[in-house]
Amino acid sequence: MPGPCLIRDYLGELSAQLPAGIVAELASGLDETCGHYLGQGLDPDAATRAAIAEFGDPQVVVEAFTRTSPARQAARRLLATGPVAGLCWGAALVGGRAWTWSVPVTARVLFGAALITVAGLLAAAAVGRRYRAVSRAGTAGCVGIAALDAAMLAAVTFAAPVVAWPLILAAGASAARISFTAWALRPVLVS
Amino acid sequence: MRAEQLKGHLDTLLLAALEDGPRHGYAVMEALRRATGGRLDLPTGTIYPALRRLETAGLIKGSWSVVGGRQRRDYRLTAAGARALSGKRADWRDFAAMMSAALERRPCPDPA
Repeated sequence: MPGPCLIRDYLGELSAQLPAGIVAELASGLDETCGHYLGQGLDPDAATRAAIAEFGDPQVVVEAFTRTSPARQAARRLLATGPVAGLCWGAALVGGRAWTWSVPVTARVLFGAALITVAGLLAAAAVGRRYRAVSRAGTAGCVGIAALDAAMLAAVTFAAPVVAWPLILAAGASAARISFTAWALRPVLVS
Repeated sequence: MRAEQLKGHLDTLLLAALEDGPRHGYAVMEALRRATGGRLDLPTGTIYPALRRLETAGLIKGSWSVVGGRQRRDYRLTAAGARALSGKRADWRDFAAMMSAALERRPCPDPA
């Protein structure tokens, strides 16, 4: 198979799984690597084969990008800190007798379902092996957790009869998590 | 040397490879090969995710340029990256001195 076809197939395999910006950089690197082997006196086909062999199996390259994906890093941090935020809210809601607040049952059920969905999305982003799926799940999970935190802040603002210190602590944890999510999402959206 | 043996040290090597000035991904790999006498054996394609990760961490900065009609992305060390490299280099010297003392029964130098 001639060199250009090999390169097209190699980049095609990467394009199917990685964003265009990353593939453009890899294409440029592959071009440089080919140039290096051509400079060593190899014919174009041999130079292409050597460059592709040096670059590594496309799946290995994709998995390396997936492991370092900003979406995966953000999801893992949110999952790691989730129990702390959960404990803060648990203490605040039990202490504030949240079951007596005027929040409709439907809203409580929807919140619970959304929380489980968001945790599932973050878990998928944390362990997934496909870059695009990890990016999508991580982004959705980050946006979801920020929305849930905002919903909790709104709920305590309008429904809590008394604002005690555990509630302030939990609200602080949610506000910090919203800020972290906004910061973490920037590279996810850029990549 | 394989990627798994480099665990935790690849970032330091990449920062060191950019210490002398901006380089694109392949040039970084070449610099590492030269510096290690060809003993570093990583798939070149796996250097790029590590460079992106360092960029996200603010330790290096990438920018596109056109050289000889070819588009390429060059990376340079940021001030934070230079500080991180300096710290990692000091940590490595301490670690290497400690391991040499333990494995080769050399006297361990006092920490600076």
